[in-house]
Amino acid sequence: MTKATTSIRRQLILMVATVLIVINVVALWGAHIYANKAAKESYDRLLYGSALQMAENITILDTQVFIDLPVSAFETLALSASDRAFYAIMNGQYQVLTGYKDLPNIPFTQLLQQSSEKEKFIPIYYETMYHGEKVRFVALGKRLLEADSVNDVFIIVGQTLDARRAAATEVSQMALQFVALFFVITLLLLLFVIWRILQPLQAIKQAITERSPQELSPLEAKVPSEIAPLLKSINYFMAQLDNTLSRLQRFTAEAAHQIRTPLAGLNSQAQNAIDETDETLRQKQLQHILESSNVLTGTVNQLLSRATLTHRYQSHPFSPVSLDHVIKETCRELVVWALERQVEIEYLGDIQVTINGDEFALKQMLQNIIENAIKYSPKGSVVEVELMAINERPDASIRLQIRDQGVGVPDKDKEHIFEYFYRSPDNFASGSGIGLSIARDVAEHHDARFHLKDNQPTGLIVEVIFPQQKGLSYES
Amino acid sequence: MRVSCLLGLCLILFSHMVLAGAAQSGTSIIFPSLNKQPNLEGEVLTVYGAVNHRVISPLFQAYQETYPNVAIHYIESNTRDLYEQFLSEPNTRPDVMLSPAMDLQFKLANDGYALAYDSPELSHVPKDSHWRSELFGFTYEPIVTAINTDILAGEALPQSREQLLNLIRSKNHLLDDKIGLFDIQQSGLGYLAWAYDGQQSRSYGRLLEAFGTHQAQLYTDTASMLDGLLKGQIFIAYNLVGAYSYQWTQKYSWIKTIMPTDYTTIIMRTAFIPRDAQQVTLAKRFIDLLLSPEGQHILANQSALTPISTKVEGPFSRDELSKLPHGIFRPIPLGLELLIQTDDAKKRLIYSEWRDAIQPVLNRKK
Repeated sequence: MTKATTSIRRQLILMVATVLIVINVVALWGAHIYANKAAKESYDRLLYGSALQMAENITILDTQVFIDLPVSAFETLALSASDRAFYAIMNGQYQVLTGYKDLPNIPFTQLLQQSSEKEKFIPIYYETMYHGEKVRFVALGKRLLEADSVNDVFIIVGQTLDARRAAATEVSQMALQFVALFFVITLLLLLFVIWRILQPLQAIKQAITERSPQELSPLEAKVPSEIAPLLKSINYFMAQLDNTLSRLQRFTAEAAHQIRTPLAGLNSQAQNAIDETDETLRQKQLQHILESSNVLTGTVNQLLSRATLTHRYQSHPFSPVSLDHVIKETCRELVVWALERQVEIEYLGDIQVTINGDEFALKQMLQNIIENAIKYSPKGSVVEVELMAINERPDASIRLQIRDQGVGVPDKDKEHIFEYFYRSPDNFASGSGIGLSIARDVAEHHDARFHLKDNQPTGLIVEVIFPQQKGLSYES
Repeated sequence: MRVSCLLGLCLILFSHMVLAGAAQSGTSIIFPSLNKQPNLEGEVLTVYGAVNHRVISPLFQAYQETYPNVAIHYIESNTRDLYEQFLSEPNTRPDVMLSPAMDLQFKLANDGYALAYDSPELSHVPKDSHWRSELFGFTYEPIVTAINTDILAGEALPQSREQLLNLIRSKNHLLDDKIGLFDIQQSGLGYLAWAYDGQQSRSYGRLLEAFGTHQAQLYTDTASMLDGLLKGQIFIAYNLVGAYSYQWTQKYSWIKTIMPTDYTTIIMRTAFIPRDAQQVTLAKRFIDLLLSPEGQHILANQSALTPISTKVEGPFSRDELSKLPHGIFRPIPLGLELLIQTDDAKKRLIYSEWRDAIQPVLNRKK
């Protein structure tokens, strides 16, 4: 049984979820950074605005710095309702003119630098601890001009960070809600899409499950182009199976018929023999019974040997076989039987070949072909068995020919001769009609090609061409 | 009956004592615990306040009814003294600070002297009546003008600042030395109300001028100003706390209280728990009571202070207040805007304007 190691659906869902999570985490992170930045910038502007309003109301009169802070500066700060605020106005000598007298870490160096460069003052932002809380300050300079004297004052305004934290959190939370919603919707959509894409596979499975075991017609299902090859393979496989099954059915029916007919003959002959009073005729009839019984035995043997071979194909691995040796042995075994029919067997060939194969099966093949040749040879003729190497072809191979001088096989029969139980209508010799079929099966099992040719002047040549196999050699 | 009985139990120690260090006078009152077992060592809640002890005592009694083992030590002082004492004596800070000087209270809270407390009772009061869970507004009181009607002599009672100026102009020398004001340099509340006038009104300059030319009398507390009004030392008292003035009006029909119809400034009395409070739990309970419907109800019925909550009913509720003739209510916002009132430069400006207008009077008097 094949084990389901991975599920496409699970993999798709896993990948989609991973990608979504990564995207969403990145989006959240981005939103978080953006929220912090936006909150920081907007509240920095408020701080700066407040400092500007303070600066606007600082003037100089008779070398006296005159400060009248506007309420609006504090109203601007009060927009962050829950934050503390601190401020100080200092002169160029760092004396606090008004406001908080102990503000920490004022960036005097930078302020002084801006002051000495006589350029426009730009705000300096910094964060520091004050009264036990983190406070963001802006420091801003203002140049006071009177006659020919120049006085710089510095405005420091700071505020705790609650409001900006709250603003950033609010934006982040909104982003979180949005992303969560987006995540759920996208995931659901993708799950639907995955289900939709995998639907044809499900449909094929369903179609196969619902079929009766006998139904092997091609599956008709609308499938995407990616799945079409799979369906095609399934259909091809089923067609093969169908073919095999019907061949098997035909074979079984034919085999039954082939066995029943001689049995019926035997039966009637035996009945006749019992009824026969004439001793000589009875002897003759008994002789007939024996012959019929022999034919039947031959048929059953062939069927058995075919069954054995079919079993061997599946269970026996190939091993090196000396082909010339097997051929010679077979010829030797059949030579007596041939001589009884006044036919000679002649082995031609002087090479030694070893191939990978099944010795038993090969022997069966040789036996069947040679027996067949002897059976159809006229008395006094010769059956030639020849093994030779062919070197002309790009891939060298081994050729085996069994030639007889019988009547041969007409071309119209050549294509049928390998069908089981096929007997040419012009053929009167006894036989099961199964031998050559088995021979061809064996040849094909060994990747060999099996041909029928006409011999000159008459007769049949059975030719088996073994492909040259790697690692196995022949020598002359 | 119950109330008077409880009052009788209280050992009211009126002692005009000199508070250590600051050398400022205050009234120290002890409300002993209701539990009479002498061997029981009770806890003491210390409250500093610029609220008349008679006005606040119903709240203390309600507190002690719930927590009979607690004695309350109340020190009453004027707003500025309270503020300065708080800063100058870090070792004897109270458990609760009560004051109508919103700016001074706010400054202390902003500078981190207040303890944050998320009172569950905050849900009963308006959102803008507290700041950062540190400073809690508990009353909603108008700043009013009180007039002794003897001065009118048939003229209509002025309803706005403009009409008040007209009255002063028409009476002219009759009002010399007869206008009473808070000394803004001494009274925190006086400064707050005056500075807020400066932000709100165009009549501010003319008022100052009128007060100056008529040699206004300066007071540091409401009681003495109202006393002066009663005794005929002054006929007009400007920027008084409504609660006290209305009480006076109830008692003496010839003294009228006006909420100016151009705008009526509203102040909140605020409370906070100092960070260094000794009895934080007791103080939190007191804040809870102050903001609870029960406490607010006591204010509206027994203390004669208009409570911050809009829901409670009583003769001094916000409902009743808004039925009296008044201008647009302008509550002083409890927020960072108050920092401007504590700004030194601003204070110097206002003081110098004030001195330029009023000081000649003082000099002449001496």
